[in-house]
Amino acid sequence: MPLPSFTTNADERALAGVCAGIAQALGVDVTLVRVVFALLALAGGAGIVLYVALWVWSRSDRAWWAAILLLVAGALLLGAVGVSDRAVVGIVLVAGGLTLAWRRGGGFRPDAPFSLGGVLIAGLGAVILLQNGSAPSRVLAPGAVAGALLLIAGPWLWRLALERDAERAARIRTEERADVATRVHDSVLQTLALIQRHAEEPRRVASLARRQERELRGWLYADQPLGEDTSSLLAALSAAAADVEELYGVRVEIASAGDATPDGALVLAAREAMTNAAKFAGVEEIDVYAEVGEDEVAVFVRDRGVGFDPAAIPDGRQGVRESIKGRLERAGGTAVVTSTPGEGTEVELRMRR
Amino acid sequence: MKRRVVLVDDHGLFLAGVRAELGDAVDVVGEAGTVAEAVSLIKDVDPDVVLLDVHLPDGSGDTIINAVAPDRPGVKFLALSVSDAAEDVIAVIRAGARGYVTKTIAPDELAAAIERVAQGDAVFSPRLAGFVLDAFRAGEHVAGDEELNELTPREREVLQLIARGYMYKEIAARLHISAKTVESHVSSVLRKLQLSTRHELTRWATQHRLV
Repeated sequence: MPLPSFTTNADERALAGVCAGIAQALGVDVTLVRVVFALLALAGGAGIVLYVALWVWSRSDRAWWAAILLLVAGALLLGAVGVSDRAVVGIVLVAGGLTLAWRRGGGFRPDAPFSLGGVLIAGLGAVILLQNGSAPSRVLAPGAVAGALLLIAGPWLWRLALERDAERAARIRTEERADVATRVHDSVLQTLALIQRHAEEPRRVASLARRQERELRGWLYADQPLGEDTSSLLAALSAAAADVEELYGVRVEIASAGDATPDGALVLAAREAMTNAAKFAGVEEIDVYAEVGEDEVAVFVRDRGVGFDPAAIPDGRQGVRESIKGRLERAGGTAVVTSTPGEGTEVELRMRR
Repeated sequence: MKRRVVLVDDHGLFLAGVRAELGDAVDVVGEAGTVAEAVSLIKDVDPDVVLLDVHLPDGSGDTIINAVAPDRPGVKFLALSVSDAAEDVIAVIRAGARGYVTKTIAPDELAAAIERVAQGDAVFSPRLAGFVLDAFRAGEHVAGDEELNELTPREREVLQLIARGYMYKEIAARLHISAKTVESHVSSVLRKLQLSTRHELTRWATQHRLV
């Protein structure tokens, strides 16, 4: 049992420093402790014996003497408050027996013989107590026995509870580990396997690595796979960017100021703009910037690629004309494509919120 | 003259990668993997620029800046990070770093960023530009020094173009101003980022990641 540690205090001692030591251990005033001992000394000298017992106990190699002295002090105390001799004997036997059980077991354990012996002695004491007719012991004895039992069983139950908590924590850790292992297996290990198989195709390897990176970040930082967050424009754009990266082996850098509920037409138009840049611009990297304003959301998709003359888009190039402009205008937005041959292209998509 | 650069990062593979990518563009005079190593190394070699990871095993980048800056005021810091809480990136910038770029930056752009920082200019990645625009939202009035807590319309325009992926010279051409003027706008924004009392900055940063 975790008793507060206690050593005699030589600096402030009056006798052996027991009172000062207790006062220090409990954090109370030394005078208070001395008064308590003085009062107890009036109770048939119990305080004096108790003092000696504690002094002996503070030299731990004589713990048994201390225990016996403690029992004597307890007996004197009980006698002083008017408990009959027979009851005192009973109580001392109960206390002594339980102490024996306790000290040898470090708690009550049925498998330790000393524990068993102690319990037997305590039982004998209890029998003596219960046969005793005097009035105070009828009240005292069952209470003392219950209290003593509580003292023994309490710490044991407490430890059980602690162990159970520790077990639960360990189980949660194991489950988390398993979850991480599953995720790593489903994603990272699969990707590494794919990368090994496609080692001859640098673009494919780069796009695999890039996609894996996105997935991992989405999981590590947002705590959900990208693309499953339906409330975030940024998440929707990131998911679209990841698809484009994987399909065309380019890198899409996304920046944003603010976030909003995604608009389907806007996200699809942005995706189409990224796809066009990836297919026709001949660049490795595409910049996407989303800006959420008071009453408008703007998405910019930019590349530093070959560019083209917007006035000369052939009718067959359905991408820009239909997928981007038409789609967005039908949904109430606008799309502006700026491009200069040799300097790159920027698609500017705006939608009212 | 080549810029003398110290690399601070606890990932050996990444360090080797950056060193190889930078090649002859700069003179890498030292590498460190922890805060303690970095502080004594930087004080020893007194480099032009320190490329600084935001997270290290024994602390964060801003600790290094705070420990070194009083003794070596000439050393410029550039935060280089793979994915971090905006909170930490902002802490490094507010400690005095001249900018923040992501580890996915192309090698030639990284070399250009180092040169720019060495000259005392600021370097913003598109993501950081987006962050600043978001944290310094227009129309939100904040008590305190107005000059530090608000962006000018021109600064806003410049940041917007950076966020859209434009390079400084492209921005200059678009806005019909000189590249030097673009630089001075960005440096001014950096100063506001470092000195602003806008509580939005902190609140924003705790909620976001500059992934």
